[in-house]
Amino acid sequence: MKQGLLRWGDVLIGAAATTVVVAAFTLTYSPSGDARLLVISQAGAATQHEPLDRTRVLEIQGPAGITRVEIEPGRARCADSPGRQNICESSGWLQAHGDVAVSLPNRLTLQVLGAEPGFDSMHY
Amino acid sequence: MHPLMTRTLTLFFAALLLTACGREEPDTEALGFYAFGTLVDLTLYPAGQYDIEAIEAAVQEELEVLHQSWHAWEPGSLGRTNELLALQGEFSAPPSVLPLIERGREMEALSDGLFNPALGKLIAAWGFHQDEPEGPPPDQETLDGLLDDPPSMKDIERNGVRLRGTHPDLQLDFGGLAKGLAVERVLELLEELGVEAAIFNAGGDLMTLGRPQGRPWRVGIRHPHGGTLGSIELEAGEALFTSGDYERGYEWEGERIHHVIDPRTGRPSQGIESATVLHHDPALADAAATTLMIAGPDAWLEYAQKMGIEHALVVLDDRIEATPGLAERVQPSRDHEPFVVRELP
Amino acid sequence: MNTPAMSADPHTGITRHDRAIAALAAIAIGIQILEAAIPSPVPGLKPGLANIITLIALLTLGWRAAVAVTLIRVVGSSLLLGTLLSPTFWLSIAGAVATLAILALLRPLAPRHVGPVGLAIAAAMAHITGQFLLAWMVIIPHPNLPFVLPPLLLAALITGSLTGILTAHVLADPRIQRHVRH
Repeated sequence: MKQGLLRWGDVLIGAAATTVVVAAFTLTYSPSGDARLLVISQAGAATQHEPLDRTRVLEIQGPAGITRVEIEPGRARCADSPGRQNICESSGWLQAHGDVAVSLPNRLTLQVLGAEPGFDSMHY
Repeated sequence: MHPLMTRTLTLFFAALLLTACGREEPDTEALGFYAFGTLVDLTLYPAGQYDIEAIEAAVQEELEVLHQSWHAWEPGSLGRTNELLALQGEFSAPPSVLPLIERGREMEALSDGLFNPALGKLIAAWGFHQDEPEGPPPDQETLDGLLDDPPSMKDIERNGVRLRGTHPDLQLDFGGLAKGLAVERVLELLEELGVEAAIFNAGGDLMTLGRPQGRPWRVGIRHPHGGTLGSIELEAGEALFTSGDYERGYEWEGERIHHVIDPRTGRPSQGIESATVLHHDPALADAAATTLMIAGPDAWLEYAQKMGIEHALVVLDDRIEATPGLAERVQPSRDHEPFVVRELP
Repeated sequence: MNTPAMSADPHTGITRHDRAIAALAAIAIGIQILEAAIPSPVPGLKPGLANIITLIALLTLGWRAAVAVTLIRVVGSSLLLGTLLSPTFWLSIAGAVATLAILALLRPLAPRHVGPVGLAIAAAMAHITGQFLLAWMVIIPHPNLPFVLPPLLLAALITGSLTGILTAHVLADPRIQRHVRH
């Protein structure tokens, strides 16, 4: 052990490996999915794009009432919407690329997009 | 050289973990509106080439006409036809319902009667002939009555444009077929309007017209439990239709009553949550999706075979089963288990 | 390469260098089989102690010896365990090839700038990455498999550090020390 246990290269490799491990964990398990953009399409209105960057609540007026959309970094959900069957709300958090929630009474679709190029259309 | 080495190493690992990603400018444009009782999306290629408003107006008008003619319980051509069929006398059919009846007959024959558009009374008995379906479900006595010698499409005699009903309970309901035919019509219309490539999406069921240059259409498939089940690349002229127990229904005494009624039992079908069919004929894709759902987990492949469907998948409560043809084409999303591939008989 | 170690036995043509490789490979096979016998809480999670031998071969006998020892270990232990040409074997090969590749890359820096600990960490990380890539791309291309990679990488970081420290201790032994290339 004359030279000591560690050389600068060891420290560097150790640091690089730690970085890789941390990066692997954050990239794989980032809790909020990797959605980046919420696309709000409402019949008869221009498509609206909302970045999923910070927590906020949107209220969208539709023919049947107000749809409340909650946005958090990397995800969004239909928190409250008119309609007795709660189809929109039951879609839960939209966080993977292409996830959609639909509110038929309010003529509204919510879709989140991730880093990949978006889908041309969504089948459901 | 040494720092370079380390940097190369770091890059090597980083490259394994990161996938390079960039967002391209969209080469399509989309419009959405409400028609045919559902949300309609139209994706047009190439972007910036069309008179969007004119196209929207034309498609909306076409769908409005079809919706009125083909609606199963609102007054219109089909409503009038049903009244006249019930009288069991000969009458001149409205021209718009003739193709429905013809395709309906064909689908009933192909599906061995599992898809039976003549059972409108049964559908109505379950409370589905209203915009917001609700109970109560029919009692056993009512069901027994409806299932005893039930009507079929064969109970319509056709002579040119003259029709005659031969069964007192005959009532037409083209749920599971009308949307397929409407999609076919809209695509014809888009072609007439000079659209080069498009996806017409009516409440989730869709069909492609042509395809963008240099790339296939990319379509995401939603999982009935939320999230995406996978994605598929579509070529020109391919229709993707899904029938699912989550689409229309209501809760009754803790039980979910959905709109796909099995003519063998007279009750909502069981075992398959949703069935998805890919085919170049949208009407067949639509009817087959309903049929496979009714057929159930044990028989869906047999009925797919009967109807000439090679690309289908069904969502069961614990797994997704797919034909080899579709399994090969769908890229499953990473949040779900891989498909169980089942060979056609 | 004309050190005394290279002079061949006049009768058999076997050099001391060859004997050293054979001895190291035999030890590595022994370690690998012992490890296979120890039940692991998570499949695929092993301390990777046999990597110590690869590193010792690299630092005392050189790169070619490290390759020879490693490949003999993989083939030899799979012969003894009866896993030759099974998926386990291919995973083992993939790990070994990735390990040797990273060591080839780091070889110019050792031992002056990088010691056994750095080499062992890099080797362990490369080993699991190689195995993972083969598993994911060929054996079980399950879309959820990437979720197991981060814990495996963390485990590799820990076991790599430990085997590195063990390697340093083995190398510090005076009986080995005189063979170490400085």
